Amino acid sequence: MSTMTLYVDRNSILHNTHPLTKLLYVMVSIAITYIIPEVTFVFTVAMITLILLILGKVFRKIVPILGLSIILIISIIIVQGFFHPENQTELFSLGFLTFYQEGLSYAALLTLRVMNMVMSFGILILTTRHDELVEALIKKGLSPKIGYVLLSVLQLIPQMRATMGKITDAQRSRGMETEGNLLVRMKAFFPLIGPVVLNSLNVTRERAIALEVRGFNANRQRSFLNVSKEYRYQKLVQILLWTALIAAIVWRIVTWGS
Amino acid sequence: MIPMNSIEIKNLSFSYTAGNDVLKGIDLTLNGAATAIVGQNGAGKSTFVKLLKGLIVPTEGEIVLNGKNTKDYTVASLAKEIGLVFQNPNDQVFKNTVISEVMFGPLNIGMDEQDAREKSMEALRKVKLDEYVDTNPYDLSLSERKMIAIASILAMDPNIVIFDEPTMGQDHEGKETLKEIIYELRNQGKLVLCILHDMDFAAEVFERTIVFNQGRVQIEGPTRDIFKQKDILHQAYLEQPIVAQIAEVLGVAGSYVTEKEVVSAAGACHDPNFVE
Amino acid sequence: MGIISVENLKYKYPDTDKLVLNDLSFDVEQGEYIGLIGKNTAGKSTLCFALAGLVPHFFNGAYGGKVLINELEVRQHEIGEISSHVGLVFENPFSQMTGSKYTVYEEIAFGLENMGLDRETMIHRIDESLELLDITGIQDKNPFDLSGGQMQRVAIASVIAMKPDILILDEPTSQLDPQGTDEVFKVIENLRKEGITIIMAEHKIDKMAGYADKILFMHDGKLIDYSSPGEVFSRDDLEDYGMTAPAVTRISKSLGIQNKQNGLYPVTLKELSREIGDTYELHRN
Repeated sequence: MSTMTLYVDRNSILHNTHPLTKLLYVMVSIAITYIIPEVTFVFTVAMITLILLILGKVFRKIVPILGLSIILIISIIIVQGFFHPENQTELFSLGFLTFYQEGLSYAALLTLRVMNMVMSFGILILTTRHDELVEALIKKGLSPKIGYVLLSVLQLIPQMRATMGKITDAQRSRGMETEGNLLVRMKAFFPLIGPVVLNSLNVTRERAIALEVRGFNANRQRSFLNVSKEYRYQKLVQILLWTALIAAIVWRIVTWGS
Repeated sequence: MIPMNSIEIKNLSFSYTAGNDVLKGIDLTLNGAATAIVGQNGAGKSTFVKLLKGLIVPTEGEIVLNGKNTKDYTVASLAKEIGLVFQNPNDQVFKNTVISEVMFGPLNIGMDEQDAREKSMEALRKVKLDEYVDTNPYDLSLSERKMIAIASILAMDPNIVIFDEPTMGQDHEGKETLKEIIYELRNQGKLVLCILHDMDFAAEVFERTIVFNQGRVQIEGPTRDIFKQKDILHQAYLEQPIVAQIAEVLGVAGSYVTEKEVVSAAGACHDPNFVE
Repeated sequence: MGIISVENLKYKYPDTDKLVLNDLSFDVEQGEYIGLIGKNTAGKSTLCFALAGLVPHFFNGAYGGKVLINELEVRQHEIGEISSHVGLVFENPFSQMTGSKYTVYEEIAFGLENMGLDRETMIHRIDESLELLDITGIQDKNPFDLSGGQMQRVAIASVIAMKPDILILDEPTSQLDPQGTDEVFKVIENLRKEGITIIMAEHKIDKMAGYADKILFMHDGKLIDYSSPGEVFSRDDLEDYGMTAPAVTRISKSLGIQNKQNGLYPVTLKELSREIGDTYELHRN
């Protein structure tokens, strides 16, 4: 495989949503879970994100990623469960471990926030071609150079992995051991990493020349081969998202004292 | 007595993913003669030499190197026996002087400092870079770095030497240097194998040629016999060496691998004083 | 004045003492195919860079003399501007792929997007270059999934789509197998028929002799000769410069087969067969 991509090619309501709308959703849904620190509210937001993932036909893809964050979640529950400074109300004990209500509800809040964050990024990444996203951002004023770096990294890292394989072969062929105890592995570090660095400097320089002669640094107005897809109701959805954000802020200010 | 080096390959197959053979049912015995391996990209040449070198393990079949199965060698002991020079020197060069780069291999296989230095100096003389011992390899050109990579294998003094595309990017002088190195290795009784895209070089320098095509050995034998078979070469997407093409234009029958042969054969029928 | 005019060009890379280009002067006419030869340290790549404006804009260093491309002085204009007149392709096909595009079609569009062309023009030009380079069949593939020869043709197509008048190729076949090499030589011949001026540095002189109109022969940064392949390769002093003539020429020399009018030796199989024909003719009369 020559590209690192998590994009899942399906046809769904989310695939037919403008990348920037989805990006806005990611920002708003994460922000409001911090603005309104209520477990039931955060739970509702996480559920909405979950439903969106199902509508986007990519729910199954997010499960392994959520699985990875489970270790983080468990440690949050344990740590907060019995070390939270406001712990007072004893809930239950497992042997010598005592869990408190205050800690656990705070842990629930954190957990829901993390899950919501992972899932809403999932919406963006799993249902959006990244070149489309980056092009949308460049049209909004992102520097084409940063855009280029974001895109090329995804293709060039797998290429670098292939180079790494060749380097390992070349050094082993000169009698270098790569397997064995820690000392052996440490000795193999420089012979392996040295060529990787020098190689990528070399290739980067050559690629810089190739980009240069194709007018990458010309200060002209750029155009795009791919036309932006026509998306409907985007303005409406975006206004709704902004409204939700503002409403959350207002709610927070109003309830400040109470 | 010069020991005779040999590699025996029996029913060798290799695949990265099951059912997708890169190499299939290769049977070969390599000994004595300097051998060229030719074929289009993707024909399996590089995979083949990696197997010989033990960098990957056969899916099927076996390779016996000087009487011992490659499976039974360790990386270091195999490195003493067989040297493989890779295509791209940038995949290995990491030291900041030419001499320390070349000494890396010899030191790895347990030579002592002084021995390693002597062998490395000798190898650098062979590749004509002995005046650059203390230069940073990256201050030299790519074709010179290629020569450093070659020296770093020669310095390990292996019995079998394999080159992967050594002529790539070399100019006329570079190719002449390579010729000298190959002839010398052969005269020392070493087994020399060489992957090549340059049919002219293959025809001129090597006694035996193996043509790979789609993971199989399409044809192999004395270089002279291989390069006269125009049609089979075309099937493998290769062409005849230029000398053979010239001989054809000159109308001299037979198979030719060097310019000298063509000149003396053609001289007989094209000399202005040789009119019937 | 030709499409390229080089006057007393001198150049030295930063922090070095040696002139890599030492007082070069030559002109190239529109539509010519120039073969650039010389040993590895002759300065061929640097000359290619100087014609494309990378010297002195990308590589700094000491620069003297003038390079005029379409009457535009390279030193006074940015690379972006020069790139619409001169295209450059070099040895390693892999590092010429941008890495930010997912199909060959988009890869070729990269330069056109930077030029700010409208979409219709872009599509027209991409289709045209795909056709010229004979890679229409792979237009939807990922550039990194291609063979070296295909990748190199994509690199050429990417540059050609920008419609330069001049194409410079620095050892474009060095990393390719015989089939890939043939593919590249063939498409360059197509481009020449389109009227594009071509300058190509190459070690495969046997192949190049058959294509080039003129040979530009360099050694140690200096111009040794600039004339027809027959004249350059018939020289007796090639070995002194670490060079050699094509096998056809060397064998013809040994056999005394040469053009009766100008005394030059054949450089291609075709010329050889013509000369032999003449020789036979002579004998018959």
